[in-house]
Amino acid sequence: MKTRILTTAVSMATLLSIAAGVPAFAADDKLNDLKEQGFARIAIANEPPYTAVGADGKVSGAAPDVARVIFQRLGVKEVVASISEYGAMIPGLQAGRHDAITAGLFMKPERCNAVAYSEPILCDAEAFAVKKGNPLKLTSYKDIADNTNAKIGAPGGGTEEKLALQAGVPRDRVIVVPDGQSGVKMLQDGRIDVYSLPVLSIHDLMDKAKDPNLEVVAPVVGAPVYCDGAAFRKQDVALRDAFDVELKKLKESGEFAKLIEPYGFSAKAAMSTTRDKQCTAAQ
Amino acid sequence: MEWDWDFVWQIMPTLLEGFKITILATILGALVAAVIGLALAIARRSPIAAVSRTVGFVSEFIRGTPLLVQLYFIFYVLPDIGIRLSPLVAGVIGIGVHYATYTAEVYRAGIENVPRGQWEAANATNLTTRQAWIHVILPQAIPPMIPALANYFIAMFKETPLLSAITVLELMNQAKSIANSNYRYIEPMTLVGVFFLAVSLLSVVGLRWLEERYARMDD
Repeated sequence: MKTRILTTAVSMATLLSIAAGVPAFAADDKLNDLKEQGFARIAIANEPPYTAVGADGKVSGAAPDVARVIFQRLGVKEVVASISEYGAMIPGLQAGRHDAITAGLFMKPERCNAVAYSEPILCDAEAFAVKKGNPLKLTSYKDIADNTNAKIGAPGGGTEEKLALQAGVPRDRVIVVPDGQSGVKMLQDGRIDVYSLPVLSIHDLMDKAKDPNLEVVAPVVGAPVYCDGAAFRKQDVALRDAFDVELKKLKESGEFAKLIEPYGFSAKAAMSTTRDKQCTAAQ
Repeated sequence: MEWDWDFVWQIMPTLLEGFKITILATILGALVAAVIGLALAIARRSPIAAVSRTVGFVSEFIRGTPLLVQLYFIFYVLPDIGIRLSPLVAGVIGIGVHYATYTAEVYRAGIENVPRGQWEAANATNLTTRQAWIHVILPQAIPPMIPALANYFIAMFKETPLLSAITVLELMNQAKSIANSNYRYIEPMTLVGVFFLAVSLLSVVGLRWLEERYARMDD
């Protein structure tokens, strides 16, 4: 019993000291922890060119590449990626399964409320893949809502799924597609009429599929350009701030453009907007 | 993580939608398993070696491969040869045929339990094979195996979340999509568990009753 009181007292003291300390203290802690273990765990989605896992298991893609460089500058040698569904990333982050999300998870107000985003990194508009000639004449999410026969496929918990639901497409016409290849297959088989992903992802997928019977509608009418950022736990704001400092340096030195432009992303788009703008954008 | 009752009531209608599909898939799957299982059991006893061997091989094959792989095959590969089934139909066929190979064994045991003398008596009274099956053998074979069959159907019910892998919007898939858009797993996943538990517990009571009613025919 005595020991328990003692433990309680000690843990209370620890709690108090954490609460009383400046926020930087806790964050330094987090960064120190990461430095000590030598790697940071990041969540990715395997959706080229945002995030990709090669046949040899090597992680690439614009988002992890940027994160790897910045974490190295912060003194964390390596990033270890795990593939996750978009919708499962934020709960996974909150549950401590990842240290950061670097997956092209676009900033939206409700996501900004749930996590601490870095400044914008990758920006892109939304696109549709459709059958050749766009037989249902779909150019916006609203068109899909209005056509009672049209079915849209999108990644579970991704921005596209939310946009479709917000535009009024009923749940049973929004098909959750597990990955890009299944999406193309379902489109070819006629199980879905539209497969929606960001522009660069759709182009990457179409290049790989090489199917002359499919075409791309881009950008989707009425859907603005979204930007992602690295997402951290709310309590790791200071780690996020440290990340932002290095990101800013990277952007200013021009290395940022060198990292992401080969993947097709525009560095200018990311540098001309801010987290605050993206997080408060209407929609 | 705190339990939020408001959120529970907010997501309940969506989960119930999914639950309906789960129940529907289970009932249809059970029908498929019951009918095809019986056909497999009878075909396996066929005097023609080619038929019984083929059926035996096919059942072993289906039983020896994972249901999830079969579902992917039916959903993603069959369209290549021009068979495009809706997700629910593909799922019902997949789960129904898979469980048919198990129920076939139950039927076989039931049929073998009918004393040989019954066959001889059927022959002696000049019944055709067909008449012997329908009027003599099956009526005696089926009641004792009802509890065992029901057991498989309950097992099948608990396997239906696999259908979420082929985009069927059943309970598990609805719960996942709720979690995906609200970043909360605790309520939807707990409720999925509660739904399944409630039905399983009720089924156990039903199963007991079936056992009382059918399992001991001799009493």
